Amino acid sequence: MITTLLFFLFAGFAIACAGLMVYHKNPLYSAISLIGVFIALACIYMLLAAPFIAAVQVLVYAGAIMVLVIFVIMLLNLEEDKPLTRLRHLYLIGSILGLVLLAQTLFIFYAVKKSPQSAQEQADAGLTLNIGRAMFTEYLLPVEIAGVLLLMAIVGAMVLSRRLKETRLDIAQKEKRR
Amino acid sequence: MNPDANLAIILPEIVVAVFGTIVMLYDCFVPNSRKTTAAVSIFGLLLAAIALFWLWLFAGQSVPVSAWNGMIVTDSLRLSFSISFLIITAVTILVSAVWVEREDVPAGEYYSLLLFATVGMLLMASGNDLVIIFLGLETLSLSTYVMAGLRKTDLRSNEAAMKYFILGSFASAFLLYGMALVYGATGSTNISEIAIKVANANFPALLLIGGAMMLVGFGFKIACVPFHIWTPDVYEGAPTPITGFMAAGPKAAAFASFMRVFVLGFPLINGVQVSAFLHDSWITALSIMAILTMTFGNVAAIVQNNVKRMLAYSSIAHAGYAMVGFVAAGMAKTADKREEIIAAVAFYMLAYAITNLGAFAIVTLIAEKNDRRTEFDDYNGIGFRSPLLSFSLSIFMLSLLGLPLTAGFISKVLVFQPAFEAGSPLLVFLVVVAVVNTAISAYYYLRLIVVMFFRERVTEWENPKIPYSLATVLVFAVLGVFYLGIFSDGVIRLFKSSPSAFQLRVSEPSVQPSIDMTKAER
Repeated sequence: MITTLLFFLFAGFAIACAGLMVYHKNPLYSAISLIGVFIALACIYMLLAAPFIAAVQVLVYAGAIMVLVIFVIMLLNLEEDKPLTRLRHLYLIGSILGLVLLAQTLFIFYAVKKSPQSAQEQADAGLTLNIGRAMFTEYLLPVEIAGVLLLMAIVGAMVLSRRLKETRLDIAQKEKRR
Repeated sequence: MNPDANLAIILPEIVVAVFGTIVMLYDCFVPNSRKTTAAVSIFGLLLAAIALFWLWLFAGQSVPVSAWNGMIVTDSLRLSFSISFLIITAVTILVSAVWVEREDVPAGEYYSLLLFATVGMLLMASGNDLVIIFLGLETLSLSTYVMAGLRKTDLRSNEAAMKYFILGSFASAFLLYGMALVYGATGSTNISEIAIKVANANFPALLLIGGAMMLVGFGFKIACVPFHIWTPDVYEGAPTPITGFMAAGPKAAAFASFMRVFVLGFPLINGVQVSAFLHDSWITALSIMAILTMTFGNVAAIVQNNVKRMLAYSSIAHAGYAMVGFVAAGMAKTADKREEIIAAVAFYMLAYAITNLGAFAIVTLIAEKNDRRTEFDDYNGIGFRSPLLSFSLSIFMLSLLGLPLTAGFISKVLVFQPAFEAGSPLLVFLVVVAVVNTAISAYYYLRLIVVMFFRERVTEWENPKIPYSLATVLVFAVLGVFYLGIFSDGVIRLFKSSPSAFQLRVSEPSVQPSIDMTKAER
């Protein structure tokens, strides 16, 4: 009973935030509404007994990714969104895609209802303990490879963002003198 | 659950990764030692090659067929592709020694990126699990994105890196989504297990959609039509040694895992409708893609005026030729035949890689700082003024074209012959298209030779000094082209031979432990 109540509370919050995100004219408010959607979704994951996914949702989506988005919006210093007439035709495409997505969701709902496996069987799959154990036993090698991948990514980011010995302007001038 | 760890089975990967770190740290403590870092990197690759040959020929029963819960395997597909990757990286390091000096590239970071990219490629060939394949592919792709953009002051290089990064991430997302759907349908990420479970998948529709999405992801990485749009711009903009590397290494690596997932993971199981339908669909899709790739690559290469762009389109066309072998491997009736065709495709990629790296070495040397001279006009009349360069470049062009006695000829024969003999009308048609396309490709390969020898040069030409590292590459590539062209038997026999551990235990069916998160607890 209380779970159903909470579910409707969070789902309503998520839908309201999503609506606000689409309709708000100021991109910053849209971004903040999106954070609301993510947090509401995290709460729903909690209700589904998947605390790890909920934590990751908050940390990665609501935390890291949205901070980046907000940084970009603030750095670009966007003005309030004017109605773009040249994007009119996208409304049609957008609504078709939305309908497709809705149909897909309904199909998944139908398929899950029909499928023989019960959800009860895998109820402990999303527990942090199980994921941690799997990471350091069964999936040890992939975790190590991910470590190599991250090291490589750090090196790559350093190479690309490091200051050059001579700036672009110097080089351009040198080319001109030649 | 036990991680089933076995360090010996991933020894080549470990050695290369360790040397990637060593090179990075060495450069940090001893700056301005470009030559030493290059030498250390090549030494690391040599050690990895020794480890690989040990796995292949001498390890025997001390190394199992598969370890890490079936995530890593030692079979002929892995080993033959892996040796190609090590050769490709070593040659790339030698080619870039000139360029690193000329453009003042941070040597330690550059070589370590190259070595980490090699780790990615090795894992893509050895991974028998979608997770490992994806991680390997990402390691490879991320370092290639960075290397494509290393010339930070050049707009073309920036454009290439940006384009490659955005489109590449898009393709990776497709691949990952496809993998997730296949996991949903079969309940496993292990390819051997997927091959068994394809017969009674939970949701056959998911399997088909997942397969199609993986086709998009891998298709992007091997640059086949219609997922080739990025190739010419990226190949033109990226620094020339990296372009050579991208055309040889990542493409071959993508072929290795592409073949493992599709040929070994989605096989034809007699009497099972789902598997027959899935098999039919991917064979048909790949055949159409192969025809488009060959035709488009060759026709578009004809009208190019930039040598790097021409080689980019030629690399698209070569991916198409290799796909003929891929389709033939998918339709092979017996396991032996399949092994043979996979070995032929591995040989094709090796022959193409060596020829192509040689060609790009010369293009690097002629291009000079900031890739100034890469147009066809820049090659006007250099034929008899720099005979060494122009004759070896001619040999490479003839090998890419597929003239007898060269590697290009024998590799084409090896790939097309089994496809032709398989007796299916589809494969015969594919081979006919491939042969017609080879004839078309004569135009642009010979054009470069004509330009070099029979055109008058208007601008001045100073014979470039060939550094030792590049001379080594040229000698190696020319000898390699002829060696693979004339004495291909030994190499192909080696590629076909299963590793010793595999031969001993191939009879007993290995049951891989299922990968299921819930079991982790028990």
